[in-house]
Amino acid sequence: MKGFVLTRAWSIARKEVRHVRRDPFTLTMALGLPVVMIVFFGYAIDFNVKNVRIAVVDQDRTPSSRALQNVFSSSDYFQTVPADGRDGIDLLDNENTKAALYIPPGFQTDLTRKGAASVQVVLDGADNQTTGVIASYLGGLQRAANDRLAVAVPVPVRLDTRFLFNSELNSRWFIVPGLSVVVIGILSILLTALTVAREWENGSMELLLSTPVRPLEIVVGKLFPYSVLGLFSLAFVYVAARLVFGVPFRGSHLLFAGTGLVFLTTVLAQGLLISVITRQQLLAMQLANISGMMPNLLLSGFIFPIESMPAFFQTLTMGLAPRWFMYIVRGVFLKGAGLFEMGVPIIALCAINVAIVALAVKKFKTDLEP
Amino acid sequence: MPIHCDVEHVNKRLKQNQALKDVSLHFEKGLLHGIIGPDGAGKTTLLRTLAGLLRPDQGGFQFFEEGRPLALADARLRMAYMPQQQSLYADLSIAEHLDFFRDLHRIPTEIYRERRASLLHMTRLDKFVDRPAGKLSGGMYKKLGLMCSLLQSPDILLLDEPTNGVDPISRREFWDMLYEFREKRILILIATAYMDEAERCDRVHVINEGRTLAAGEPRSLMVESGAASFQDYFLQKIGVSA
Amino acid sequence: MSGRALAVEVEGLTVSFGDFKAVDDISFSVRPGEIFGFLGANGAGKTTTIRVLCGVLVPARGRVLVAGHDFSDGGWRIKHQVGYMSQRFTLYNDLSVAENLAFTASLRKMSAEKTAARMTELFALIEFDRPLTTRVSDLPGGLKQELSLAAALLHEPSVVFLDEPTAGVSPASRRRFWDLIRRVSQKGVTVFVTTHYMDEAEECDRIALMRAGKIIALDSPAGLKTSAFPEKLIEIEAPAENVVEWRRALAASGAVEGIQPHGMRFHAVLKDPERFSAASKGARWREIRPSLEDVFVRLVEGDDR
Repeated sequence: MKGFVLTRAWSIARKEVRHVRRDPFTLTMALGLPVVMIVFFGYAIDFNVKNVRIAVVDQDRTPSSRALQNVFSSSDYFQTVPADGRDGIDLLDNENTKAALYIPPGFQTDLTRKGAASVQVVLDGADNQTTGVIASYLGGLQRAANDRLAVAVPVPVRLDTRFLFNSELNSRWFIVPGLSVVVIGILSILLTALTVAREWENGSMELLLSTPVRPLEIVVGKLFPYSVLGLFSLAFVYVAARLVFGVPFRGSHLLFAGTGLVFLTTVLAQGLLISVITRQQLLAMQLANISGMMPNLLLSGFIFPIESMPAFFQTLTMGLAPRWFMYIVRGVFLKGAGLFEMGVPIIALCAINVAIVALAVKKFKTDLEP
Repeated sequence: MPIHCDVEHVNKRLKQNQALKDVSLHFEKGLLHGIIGPDGAGKTTLLRTLAGLLRPDQGGFQFFEEGRPLALADARLRMAYMPQQQSLYADLSIAEHLDFFRDLHRIPTEIYRERRASLLHMTRLDKFVDRPAGKLSGGMYKKLGLMCSLLQSPDILLLDEPTNGVDPISRREFWDMLYEFREKRILILIATAYMDEAERCDRVHVINEGRTLAAGEPRSLMVESGAASFQDYFLQKIGVSA
Repeated sequence: MSGRALAVEVEGLTVSFGDFKAVDDISFSVRPGEIFGFLGANGAGKTTTIRVLCGVLVPARGRVLVAGHDFSDGGWRIKHQVGYMSQRFTLYNDLSVAENLAFTASLRKMSAEKTAARMTELFALIEFDRPLTTRVSDLPGGLKQELSLAAALLHEPSVVFLDEPTAGVSPASRRRFWDLIRRVSQKGVTVFVTTHYMDEAEECDRIALMRAGKIIALDSPAGLKTSAFPEKLIEIEAPAENVVEWRRALAASGAVEGIQPHGMRFHAVLKDPERFSAASKGARWREIRPSLEDVFVRLVEGDDR
């Protein structure tokens, strides 16, 4: 029977379901990996910095200077440590504090007489990461300080910075939706990478090839059960994002699920392609790890923005499914984007999907030539 | 309709080894043919070629039905092949295997039910339908393989060393099953390294190191050369003193 | 061989893995210099029994004496006295002949002189005429097996175990190998062989057939044939047509028993010679010697019914 026969693909799918149910490795990974990654990225890594110890050298010692100190200590972000002039720098040096606040003498006087006063914040530049974050807090703190200490002097222009969509700049809101891309991306490739190679290695492929089954039926049949498994993982990440981390969801669930399914089958097909080409489980696993981890973690825009990458990589990522799905996911979760706005990424994702499935079918070896 | 097969001057090289050297054979219709030869003789290469899993470098082969040429693609639809190496799924049960092959060959339910029952009865595996293939003894495993092949009621049956390593009792039972199917006059090609199985075949085709040495009715060949056993006949043929 | 009447003595040996009895209360003995064949399907208990006899597996129950030693020291003295040739792994392919044997010798803590002396003897025994620097991977299959046997014999064991030694070897080489086994046994070494090939089983002095952990037959090949087939085993030429009918009638007549097809002919046990002519419609027949396979099938079927 030439052409594609659905019942044969279905029988391959049914068989695959049985294999998966009886294979502890696959099931553990499909259920365990999302949990591990969510805990890791959601909790353990916190890009927000809290309770930063800041040494305060108050040489003014007035109510205003104490009010300023209060602005810092009452925020969650800082923990003030009183110090005098000499201690300040020492404290920074000993890494006991990451910052120091110097309030010069005459602070209150300047404030009442001139309407403006300056203080100095010194940051520990050795720790890039934290310093950048602290610097960004200062803007907000300055505003808060202005509010508290302003003495009825109208300020002609106020620079107001609001962070759209993520007003608290809650890094979790940024990271967790992105997790759906990363978790599905890495997991899916691993799920399918072994299946075809295993059949070659345990000898069952020889028998299968002598029956009327066609490569397209095998590919489609094998993709199906893993798609179902992947959808569960996707749902799991969604639930964790909404309930545990409180990330809002402003877009269409249907769009999310639909594009999720396309992305899912794309990366599953990628794993299958690896299996089809290598025909060896060990090699397939290694390739799956490399081609899964790197693009999904580093090149999808998960942590490192694509905009800051060199032009070469920016172009490269256009051929990567994770990049497009990342864009869609963040759009749908945080911006409420719809089908229209996501047009380009959706088309790109579908195109990559078709290309990989087609390649897997084309490269499927149908004979035993050495 | 009975099918026969002609192989003409087939050469096949696999990596460094010339596996088949100018092999020509005639497989008469409706008979049980034994392809007899030691390990490395080229039996597996020959069967894989006939099953369409390898392509000859030179020469070719043709199936005929009632004297008219039968295209390989059509022949393959009516062919069942049982590879030498383990090729079933250790974690699937006997029943699950049969269901799977039913779907692959799209066998209608009624026919399937009948055939399944008769095959399970013949192999005496009906009490073990839920046992996974990985837990079957060597003989039972091979019988399962045979059942999966016979399920589609093939007109051509290719068996690559189906009784290798199997205990004598299971071997006997396996041959009993084959004989029952032989009644249907299908073309059966069975490769074996057991010289004593040669006498169980209607015709034998002796190969060694990629070449055909002899072909014919086993008893006649032995009588002609005065050999007491087929093993002796073979050794004589390759020029080794018994 | 001072004072030891038997090379191997086994009494009531049982080995269990959890609930599963791999070896179920077997007893047998082997004389020095005997070629003892072990037959049976995979899983019948052959490998487990051999592991016990090699001193590798300590039996839970039963008495085992190999070359006069028992398991009281955990099997160490047994290990010194036995040689083992495995089916799966014999020699290191990427090492030379000399290197392989030197390695084996070092594992057995043999002195250099002793090793050299033994090597000369063994190479003469197997008629090995290639340079010692030849890599094992460059040797043909049959020669590799013979060399493996030599390695197993290097430390002069009194009992040697060969696990399917001719698997994958050409018939000509198999013949040579068995000639070698004969020569080895003539020197007084007891040889235990497991095999699937019935024609090899014929070459043994005695054979034990194992099934489901038990020994169901133990005798010389000739003895087994006589006890399994007290009546004649014959080969009948079937008529040209209506074979199915003819066979049915013959089976119903009771003149023969256990009709088995063999290619174009049938084997059967002749029960009633007088009635046979008529029942077979004058078919040509001749007496044949039963093969060991015929024997085993008979024994097992006799068991079941």
